[in-house]
Amino acid sequence: MSTAVAHAAHEISSRAITWLHANRHLGGFPSETTADLGDPDSVYKPLSETVLLSSLVLREGVAGPGEAQHARELLDFAWQQVREGDLLYERQLRHSVLTDPLETYAHFARSGKRHEGLEELLAHSAALGALTEVMPNRRLAVANARRIVGIGDGEDWAELTRVTWLGATPQPWAIDWMTGYCLTHTVFHLTDWGARPEDMPEDLADYVATWLPVWIDIWSEVEQWDLVAELLIVGVCLPEPLFQEADWKRLAGVQHADGLVPRDGAPVDDDPLQRFSDQQHPTIVAAIAGTLALSRLLST
Amino acid sequence: MTTDGRIAQLSIADAAATLAGRILDAFHGDEFTGLADHVDSCADQVVALGAVRLVGADVFAPHLLLSRPLAGRDVAVVADSFAYFPAVGEPDTHERRVTAWRDWATATVLTRLAGTGPDEAVVFAPPPDTASAVLGPADAWQQWSVHVAQLSPLALPEVGGPVVEAVGREGKALARGAVRAVLRRDYVNAARLARWVALLSHSGTRLPLDPVLLVEQIRLHGGTGPRLLLDLAVARHQLGIEPA
Repeated sequence: MSTAVAHAAHEISSRAITWLHANRHLGGFPSETTADLGDPDSVYKPLSETVLLSSLVLREGVAGPGEAQHARELLDFAWQQVREGDLLYERQLRHSVLTDPLETYAHFARSGKRHEGLEELLAHSAALGALTEVMPNRRLAVANARRIVGIGDGEDWAELTRVTWLGATPQPWAIDWMTGYCLTHTVFHLTDWGARPEDMPEDLADYVATWLPVWIDIWSEVEQWDLVAELLIVGVCLPEPLFQEADWKRLAGVQHADGLVPRDGAPVDDDPLQRFSDQQHPTIVAAIAGTLALSRLLST
Repeated sequence: MTTDGRIAQLSIADAAATLAGRILDAFHGDEFTGLADHVDSCADQVVALGAVRLVGADVFAPHLLLSRPLAGRDVAVVADSFAYFPAVGEPDTHERRVTAWRDWATATVLTRLAGTGPDEAVVFAPPPDTASAVLGPADAWQQWSVHVAQLSPLALPEVGGPVVEAVGREGKALARGAVRAVLRRDYVNAARLARWVALLSHSGTRLPLDPVLLVEQIRLHGGTGPRLLLDLAVARHQLGIEPA
């Protein structure tokens, strides 16, 4: 085990969780929000990501008592925000082909917060084949969410994987910033965020292990910390995990004293609400990266 | 390189680009007039000789790869270039180590082609240093690959030696360096590294990328600088691709 990486990973995640917990009330829905969600990306998507983080902190069980308590409170906050699942239920009822209620609910369900009516609806949608057209890596998100909740008859993971960018194992320079995110999410969902590293097909694992250091290098050089943190998670999810000490120290180095991890090299806004809204995502990603890295290091 | 300072250095760099263009012509099937005729045609022959030293072993690319004959006058030009711009002494800095290895490659190829070197001291000198002293550890593949790129004239058939053997053992580090250069749009270094990729591929080393697609990527994006195009021409020839 690399003690230096474990130390950096623990520092990054505990500080990030503390910041997210301290600022959680900035991430609640405005009053009278309905299930139609005029702007799903403003509060709903980050809230869903907060639930993901909380569910992973609780699943891995490597956080200190304070951070674990923060994770439970973040989960409770989010569960209260979605009216104990009713908002997700109403959204799925009205928009039967949308995938986000399932994707959000899966992380609640993993943590023991379940909604019977929503699960019936989700099972029915899966049986219908009711699914809006999505990017191939997003389709894997749906497959993973169904696997977590226990819905449907199973998926053809090999076929779903084959049509992603990663599944084609392109020449490694045939990638851009957005495609970088497609790559990371393909790995996240295939391995259920590091819980099933052996589910990475061998050829894809070899391909990622070969090129991940290059992608981390070039996006670190241009200070794309959000993507870099996602790539660090990818390294943790591999059958033979990749931990490069310099990468973790660099990420710890850009984390602010209060725990915020900046999205990129641009100045961070001083306004508390803007600051939270801008930097919530990269801070969640960094918290997940640190949590999963520490867990993997402790188990190997 | 000369006592005339920066202006002379700049003009040697320009002259090296011109010389690279002449060598490139040979790969395009044009008449290759030979080194001596080229130097004779230059207004400032000392600058032209400086260009010969800068281009290094690559002046022999047409002879090594296209079987163009080497004239006695061409041998004399290379010897003159070492007389005007002497080989470095003790390689005590990275820059001087790189120069020493490039000189060694020039002398080695000249000896193979002509049976004689530019002068005895250079020809019969052993390799200037260990490969690891000039390349550094391959684990630090970013810096290692930059050093490999600086030694691209060694990526010619018939050079061989410790650096070629060391690079040949590190296909993954080399491929990572080449891909990093492409992603950084650093096509000059990408083309230099593509030569090494082609050399390794030619010798049967398994690489995690497609060398032909790498070379084509650089050709389509890398611009029209003669030095870059010469590197690509050498790589293409090694890979058995027709000239672009």
